[in-house]
Amino acid sequence: MSKKLPKKTKFEKILLNIDSDVLRQKLKLKHLEVKDTLTKKYPQVDVFFKEKGIDPGQIREHSAKLLGAGAIASALLLASPNQDMLKLLPSPQEVLHNLKLSNEKDGTRTLLVSTIKSFLPERPRPLVRSEEKFLEHIFINTTGIPVKASLEGEHLNTTYGYIGAEQHLRRFPGDSLKEHGEGQVLKSGIARGRGAWGYFAQSREQLTEDLIQKEKWYAVVQTLYLPDWNRRAQYLREWYKYRKVLIVNTENGKSVVAAIADSGPAAWTGKQFGGSPEVMEELGGAKYKKGPVMVFFVDDPENKIPLGPVDYSNVKMVNVLEN
Amino acid sequence: MSKIFYDHLIIIEEIDFIIRNAAESSEEKEELWKLVDEIIHHRILERILNRLPEKRHKEFLERFHLAPHDESHILYLQEKTGEDIEKIIKKEVNELEKELLSLVKAPSR
Repeated sequence: MSKKLPKKTKFEKILLNIDSDVLRQKLKLKHLEVKDTLTKKYPQVDVFFKEKGIDPGQIREHSAKLLGAGAIASALLLASPNQDMLKLLPSPQEVLHNLKLSNEKDGTRTLLVSTIKSFLPERPRPLVRSEEKFLEHIFINTTGIPVKASLEGEHLNTTYGYIGAEQHLRRFPGDSLKEHGEGQVLKSGIARGRGAWGYFAQSREQLTEDLIQKEKWYAVVQTLYLPDWNRRAQYLREWYKYRKVLIVNTENGKSVVAAIADSGPAAWTGKQFGGSPEVMEELGGAKYKKGPVMVFFVDDPENKIPLGPVDYSNVKMVNVLEN
Repeated sequence: MSKIFYDHLIIIEEIDFIIRNAAESSEEKEELWKLVDEIIHHRILERILNRLPEKRHKEFLERFHLAPHDESHILYLQEKTGEDIEKIIKKEVNELEKELLSLVKAPSR
């Protein structure tokens, strides 16, 4: 018996038929129009940026280079509202002591949420190194998973931001939505294009259980905005391909280990990360579409940590701070 | 890290949905995202300069160029324009999204 797939709305049907070449052409025309308006009204803007050696439309790349080079890292550090807060917070040892005392069901997760909520700014923003170090210790001890904000010299575009719901990815040529499980997770649909690394396998026969899990529990991160993405694209593509990350929902503490399988979201969507339908359901339930999360690399060179939800009840505190 | 001081004020979702469904590869998707990104930058810069007294234009461009991520530019703009600049940027982005949607939905010539 064939599975019944969710119906598409009229709006979705219209939009699904838009050709990418036509879309590109239209966006290019709009791009010319807004650029022309700015240049005609304020010719000095063009002159100013030309003197500085950048195009005004490419200010994001300029920002990434500045921040990536650390030229204003100290300014960011000073501007961080959490520097004073860091001094007022209990030490990581105290927090972990409280976590260990918690015997109630889901106690670890509840205490984790209250700790990170008292620590993090309400509106997500890039965290400074001291904040990330504090959180690394907390996550290692509550989840038992070795996490790092910076791994082998690489760092995500940000470690604290909003995650949005993604569609399923095509795992091999000819893959279809109905082969991606059943129920709620099918409602998200399947993306027309492939993920950042192409198909997971070149044919159905080559699709292993490992690759099925990678698509099921996949994450999306903004590799496109990394300051050195264009310069080191080949190396970075290999480094980020299926790299494991721990995603923590800062509202409820639910966590998932996921594999990076796509690039995005665009900066103008108000989101910094994406999660597969299964990741999103695990983090926030069937209707969870967007929310604040933290994302750290999982340091797992021997590939021992499985993808999927983190079970806090199985975690033994590892006392890394006390050693 | 990549950030512009007004990023947190911009949420455009429908165009993103369209791009995701039209693009056949990750590279194509990123190219289309970048076009929208640049459209937004040009439009917001124009609208900011419309409101900022002319004698402040050079000063603002210098500040912006030195630290594009710095959210204190919003306070500066509020002070120099006497207007709620966050509200203005949000409104402009909503208008721009409508323009982009009608452009995308219109039949091709």
